[in-house]
Amino acid sequence: MVREGQGDMQTGGAETRRGMPTPVRTVVVLALLYLFLAGVRLLEGGIKGFGSDFTDALFEGVSNPLAGLFVGVLATVLVQSSSVTTATIVGLVASGVVSVDAAVPMIMGANIGTTVTNTLVSLGHMRQTAEFRLAFTAATMHDFFNVIAVAVLLPLEVLTGVLSNTARAITEILAGGSGIEFQSPIKGAVSWLAGIFESLIEALFSNEDVIATLFLVVGIALIFLTLTFITKNMRVLVAARIERSLNAVLAKSGVVGMIVGMLVTIAVQSSSITTSILIPIVASGVLVVRNAYPITLGANVGTTVTALLAALASGTTDGLTIALVHTLFNVAGILLLYPWKVTRFLPVRLAEGLATIAMSRRTLALGYVAVVFVAVPLLGTLLLR
Amino acid sequence: MVLDFFRSSGHSAVEAVEGKLAGMLRDGREVYDAATEALFGGGKSKETRREVRSTDRGINEAQRDIRRELMVHASVNETVDLPLVLSYMSVVKDAERIGDYAKNIYDLVRYGADFTDQPDQEELVRYRDAVGRLIEDACMAFEARDAERARELISRADEFLDDHDAHIKAAFSFDGEPADAVARALYYRFLKRITAHVMNLLTSLVMPIDRLDYYDEDKEDRG
Repeated sequence: MVREGQGDMQTGGAETRRGMPTPVRTVVVLALLYLFLAGVRLLEGGIKGFGSDFTDALFEGVSNPLAGLFVGVLATVLVQSSSVTTATIVGLVASGVVSVDAAVPMIMGANIGTTVTNTLVSLGHMRQTAEFRLAFTAATMHDFFNVIAVAVLLPLEVLTGVLSNTARAITEILAGGSGIEFQSPIKGAVSWLAGIFESLIEALFSNEDVIATLFLVVGIALIFLTLTFITKNMRVLVAARIERSLNAVLAKSGVVGMIVGMLVTIAVQSSSITTSILIPIVASGVLVVRNAYPITLGANVGTTVTALLAALASGTTDGLTIALVHTLFNVAGILLLYPWKVTRFLPVRLAEGLATIAMSRRTLALGYVAVVFVAVPLLGTLLLR
Repeated sequence: MVLDFFRSSGHSAVEAVEGKLAGMLRDGREVYDAATEALFGGGKSKETRREVRSTDRGINEAQRDIRRELMVHASVNETVDLPLVLSYMSVVKDAERIGDYAKNIYDLVRYGADFTDQPDQEELVRYRDAVGRLIEDACMAFEARDAERARELISRADEFLDDHDAHIKAAFSFDGEPADAVARALYYRFLKRITAHVMNLLTSLVMPIDRLDYYDEDKEDRG
């Protein structure tokens, strides 16, 4: 039965309403994932193609941990996706131009940078006072959590190498030795597709620098585009599951919420999507901030899967190590704050305080975004390099 | 709870909301039956009162559930189902009000109204049955997403609205006890409100979104 006057208001599965049948969309996602992994391989090949002198000069500045942190924030704010940044960092580390130690602050920066998306979403509620308070709190609690985690774990990492050393130990167990490369189950298949792109570019151009540049550009473009479309398609594919899970944790969240946040983020390959979905739900009062908080923390962990996938494509132990650092950092952040009653809701309390300030003058909210996500990382990158 | 993510429910979130809306209508019919049964001879009893109240509370809770689920649905799916979300956000109020007005009919019994052995008994029963059938038919049309049937029912119900108004007017010149006149006026008023809310709910199947709530107005004010 077709409803009159309401066009596409007929009910049915989300898949039918959005046109593409589920099996076709699943195949599309798998193809995109394959292209994404090939993109990581191309990026790696492009960086290697530039030669060590050029790349050493390019990445010399990020040996300063704070500069690396700000580069991570800025790069993620620019591409609006920590998955793109971390996959690129994995490529850089796998190619050997950036060391694991230098990449750790960049990974942490990506974690902070990714929170800009839901903060921007929260600004959309600015016209409604009560809604805005909740939305801005829900968004910035993610910022505060990541900033606190970095404030504690970055100095600790610089002093002791606790995250990178733990990641190396896990890599050794997983990769079965301490060689440069490990037996990745998908590396061969990925190399085949990346090889086709490489052959095509090499057939068209002869200059090595041009070839390396094209490898790099095509690699980054593939990573960016495929992740964008993977996220879009996966969001459609798992929309009903996301809804069911969120409905189940509306009244009570905690560890279950954390797991739901992680699963949803793994499914859509984007923590920004998960945390941005939460903003209007919190703003409407349907989900309370303290129940949204664990879901956000789970999203932080879930998003690290992208870097792990990229590491599988690279097949290098360093690539896997930096991907594991990403996971360890987010898990360590949760262990640092969440189990203890005193610190559990510290990011939420700080976010509530910031929201109260932002309520008194809305332009402060805009200023906060401009300063934290643009001015500070930009100045930091320029001054510390 | 977590495993729910991996399970396939077999129906979409919108279908789940539609199921709950239909459930609210069924519960509304239940309250209506219990209330009118009490009015037409059953009298007030603790059991009926409990049944009416608890079913109405269930309807209210379903309304809040639906609103929450629609909010989550809108957030996850962005604008994909926006017309449906707006439409259901509006008509869920109509489904809830049917239960409320049915409860108001039971309140008449609590205040002493009794429609047994009335001079116009046949007429009172006829409208009771007609409105009860309308709720049931509307529920079936809504569950089947049957636009044709919805249009038929809207047309049928529209005639009732005039009849209810005529009965309310007649209550002012009622020859019997003043209390009976008041009970009659209120009874037909509540039937009219129930009819209007059923019609509003049905408009979600046939009308553009800007015309929802059209039947909440008196006929001359609908334009």
